Amino acid sequence: MTDRSRRAFATSLLALAAAAISPRSPGQTAPSATLPPDQAAPPLRFGVTPVILDEQVGFLGRWADWLGTRLQRRVILVQRARYREIMDLLLGGRLELAWICGYPYVQHQDRLELLVVPVWHGQPLYRSEIIVADDSDLHSLADLGGRLFAWADPDSNSGWLYPRFALARAGEDPDGFFRRTFFTWGHPRSVLAVSEGLADGAAVDSYVRETLIQHTPSLAGALRLVHRSPLFGFPPLVAGPAMNRRDRDRTREVLVAQAEDGEGRALLADLNLDGFTVEGPALFADIAAMAAQLGREPAT
Amino acid sequence: MSRALASYRVRLPLSLSVTAILTAALMALALGLQTLQNLRQDQIRDAQRLGHAMAALMVEALRHDDVWLAYSLLRGPDRRDAEIVWVAADERGRVLASNQPRRFRLDEPVGEAFPWLAERAAPNGVQGTVLEPGGDAARRLLRIPLYSEGTRVGELLALLSDAPFLARFREILLGGSLVTAAVLALLLPLGWLWGRRMVTPLVALADCLGRVGRDEVHALDCPIVTGDDEIGQLGWRFTEMLDALAEKAALERRVIQTERLAAVGRVAAGVAHEINNPLGGIVMAIDTYRTRPERMDVQTRDLLDLLERALCQIQGTVSALLVEARADNRSLVAADIDDVRTLVQPRLTRCGTPLTWHNAFSAPTSLPAAPVRQLLLNLLLNALEAAREGGWVSVEVGAADGALRLEVRNRGRPLTAERLAHAFEPYPGPRAAGPGFGLWVCYQIASQLGGEIALDAEGPMTCARVRLPLKPSVTNG
Repeated sequence: MTDRSRRAFATSLLALAAAAISPRSPGQTAPSATLPPDQAAPPLRFGVTPVILDEQVGFLGRWADWLGTRLQRRVILVQRARYREIMDLLLGGRLELAWICGYPYVQHQDRLELLVVPVWHGQPLYRSEIIVADDSDLHSLADLGGRLFAWADPDSNSGWLYPRFALARAGEDPDGFFRRTFFTWGHPRSVLAVSEGLADGAAVDSYVRETLIQHTPSLAGALRLVHRSPLFGFPPLVAGPAMNRRDRDRTREVLVAQAEDGEGRALLADLNLDGFTVEGPALFADIAAMAAQLGREPAT
Repeated sequence: MSRALASYRVRLPLSLSVTAILTAALMALALGLQTLQNLRQDQIRDAQRLGHAMAALMVEALRHDDVWLAYSLLRGPDRRDAEIVWVAADERGRVLASNQPRRFRLDEPVGEAFPWLAERAAPNGVQGTVLEPGGDAARRLLRIPLYSEGTRVGELLALLSDAPFLARFREILLGGSLVTAAVLALLLPLGWLWGRRMVTPLVALADCLGRVGRDEVHALDCPIVTGDDEIGQLGWRFTEMLDALAEKAALERRVIQTERLAAVGRVAAGVAHEINNPLGGIVMAIDTYRTRPERMDVQTRDLLDLLERALCQIQGTVSALLVEARADNRSLVAADIDDVRTLVQPRLTRCGTPLTWHNAFSAPTSLPAAPVRQLLLNLLLNALEAAREGGWVSVEVGAADGALRLEVRNRGRPLTAERLAHAFEPYPGPRAAGPGFGLWVCYQIASQLGGEIALDAEGPMTCARVRLPLKPSVTNG
């Protein structure tokens, strides 16, 4: 028994004892929507990848609490440094659901089910963007040849798959085009790497870049876009093999309805999202096509 | 050195000020250098601690070629305030990461940025080596080698400089300067004041000393400060010296006067003897000649009378010079003193001058009566003479300290300083022989009785004081 589950067990015992000693008075009936998460039921484990703003632990915790209240289940956030780890946990049944990128989704489409896709600027779409420092003399993707370049993660569409696809389409060898590349394991870090001069360029998620600029307006002047991809399906929330149908439906229902709830809307505003929508796998066909064209990239 | 600077009045406060400023400056310098040394040591220690804390993860980053891990380690929480420039290099000396990524680019050789790095052999110790490139202590390089299971995988370089201290140093300097200025603002006026206080008596002493010899000692009037310190003792000594000088001068004056009077006395006595002998012969011859009246006609007799009177006058004048206190006289008694009063009574009655008489002397003495009577009489007559115009005369006689004291005062005609200086010299003035020799006779008597006589005058007051020892050693001469 781990430390955490031992504490959870003790907490639920205490809660039971308290309920037995002081029976609820007749007037104190709480509506089901605000019932505390059922401590006895197995918690929902929610994986969060560094693709999004995974460094805002406090905010994500509030979101998980809100979800737990709505689902009447405890929601545990699980964060890992790499995409790959979240994917392994999800596919291995140790996470019920996760917010992942479109690229790993299309790779493991057969074992995953789309729950919802975030809506940003009115549509469930985003781009990959190549950014450079504003004071640099770089003006196109081609200018970055022989320079330092930061990848986000080998399981990221915007930070790995698309830029490599774009280079290949332009007739360049994605592995030999740059002098040196490295992984930052997260889009926010790629933004930092470019703004602080560690890398000459980086491929980042347009949603992450804009959201970062909202939080830190000074970044806007430090960065310049030299390339924008076409629109792709927004990184979706997917259910793994461990999540049963009932939970999937219930979760989908709650998330889609989040924009209609006051507290939920506030959380969405913090996330810089409009809401969640239900989409089919077709939304990620472009990504699947690029992945098929480049072949399965070996992870470094 | 100019004359103004040579004076202690300037040099003492100046030395105090210079000492204060010099002390403050040296203190500030010493403190500053010590602080700098401490700050440098602290910086090295901090860098070592930080470097060793990062070492394990940095080894990990090097082994996995994880640029971001290395960068996030070196970057710290806030890159902008970084005081130390960190560079992580792989085993081939190429940059993996730095907290100044624009300056130290990924994969570039570290040696390009630190040309002098190659001068030293790669360090072996795990504690890290501190280098001072070019011997310049302001720049320091800490090299921490990184090992993974005994294999050297890279190196952590920390470039340290004094730049982060400069702001703090400026603050220290500014604060120190302000405090020093405040202390000096207090000390300098105090120093000047103290210096002046110390030096002013010295200057006065020097001024006064310069006047000794030029001016009369009693006219110097020096404002000498006396006290327990060295300058005060100098003042004491100087005052004593001035007193001794004044005493010596007075003594010299007295000696000179005494010698002069003695010389005059000898000359007078010699002349008197030389005149008296032939004079006696002439008078005797005239007497013998007058024993034969038949030889003389009226004219001759008148001539002889004339000669005899003239010769007697000469004899009287000369004998007045020859004062001799004869020891064969009877001793002085109190009545002798009162006799003098009786003798002048007719004259007192005539001119109506008030006389105060106080005779406290009673016992018989070894002093001869006649000279003392003559002495007192002469003094009294002089005083009456001087007091004629509405003055008064007082006489006091008494015995004290084994001596007879006579004191005759009068208020009347003032004595001139010139007259006072030569009071006891034979002075045949415009008047007849007797009074002109009065004080001369007094002096001679007093001297011969082994006593002293002095004459003081202040305005209309004149005072003659005589002191005669009661067991006198009478000297004839």
